[in-house]
Amino acid sequence: MALSTSRTLLRSFASLSPFARCSNSTSYGDSLWSSEPRAIFKGGSYFLAQRKLSSTSVLSLGSIEGAFPSLLQEWKLGFPSLSRALYCSTADFKKNELLELQEVEKVLSDVRADNVKVIPVQKHCAWADFMVIATGRSTWHVKNIAQALIYKVKQKQKGAQRLMLPSVEGQEGGKWIVIDSGKVVVHALDEKARDYYSLESLWTTGTSEKEPIQDLEKALVKIRRKNNSKKQAKKSA
Amino acid sequence: MAATFASKCSRVGRSLWGGLGNNLSGLLSASHETACNHFLSQQQRTFIQMRTVLKVVDNSGAKKVMCIQALKGKKGARLGDTIIASVKEAYPNGKVKKGKVVYGVVVRAAMQRGRCDGSEVKFDDNAVVLVDKQGQPIGTRVFGPVPHELRQKKHVKILSLAGHIA
Repeated sequence: MALSTSRTLLRSFASLSPFARCSNSTSYGDSLWSSEPRAIFKGGSYFLAQRKLSSTSVLSLGSIEGAFPSLLQEWKLGFPSLSRALYCSTADFKKNELLELQEVEKVLSDVRADNVKVIPVQKHCAWADFMVIATGRSTWHVKNIAQALIYKVKQKQKGAQRLMLPSVEGQEGGKWIVIDSGKVVVHALDEKARDYYSLESLWTTGTSEKEPIQDLEKALVKIRRKNNSKKQAKKSA
Repeated sequence: MAATFASKCSRVGRSLWGGLGNNLSGLLSASHETACNHFLSQQQRTFIQMRTVLKVVDNSGAKKVMCIQALKGKKGARLGDTIIASVKEAYPNGKVKKGKVVYGVVVRAAMQRGRCDGSEVKFDDNAVVLVDKQGQPIGTRVFGPVPHELRQKKHVKILSLAGHIA
């Protein structure tokens, strides 16, 4: 019985469509199907995000198995320009990033970007380690910052067979350009956009959110009330 | 002879029923568990298409929005896709008003979406973040969890405005 089920599973996974995967995982009983309800968010019973693990852990395509945990981490970091084919291969992925923090700072100071702020978000952001925010004086300046960073990446990878470029968003608009290079995410905004979105308050409040919880622990300790009344206490006989 | 035959039949019948009864009760309890997980008894979630009402999860001023076009995909939009929508319900003083035609990025979808490691992710509701034509979010904060798929789809701006990433 087990053999037949494994054979049918293999056949279905060969088709590699999400619908097929879904149907097979449900029909094979509770042992192979696990779900964890998640994300009760911020006090309200908001919604549940279910993550359904199909039984690929048992009979996965051989290429994925070897690099399973590292793949997951890589994917969470979201190496943006890697193609799917690269993902599923067990070839060693490059350890060096597309852009290092020091290089980013150097480039930004060369381009004379204003108000460069580096925020380490390792603790409350699983997908990036550093957020760099820079202001440009005009839309042309913002575009120039983005171009300079990409030029730096190209220089770094000179002579390599395949150029891995970081993903750039917002290039046509010129108001807010995001350059995503794995661990370091660079935001180039103009002044109006910076005031409008106020990204620093978003990420720095993330770190300070942890502090009020500690005060809460102190606050819930029972303290005897002070009796300031002038009434004379009853003297027990 | 007829009486013995009848008694034999009844005995056989009773034992059969006794056996069957046990099996039936066992089957019932087992089938109740598997009934909930059975493929045909689960609700089949599908794409986000024309006339789908979605929730707005940023502070742009709109509350509910109805999809009028899914920009990519013949069958409809999925998690991470952009749609054109019309604002059906809005807060009184907000950046968008009722009746405005806006673009939106789907950040939560009831339909499951496969990830490259084989797992699937699905949410309990359909939610959208309003953007302009260039892809800039109109609101400044995004509420609720957003999935990682947005990074691959080049919506890092929405990810950076979000508080919680699924």
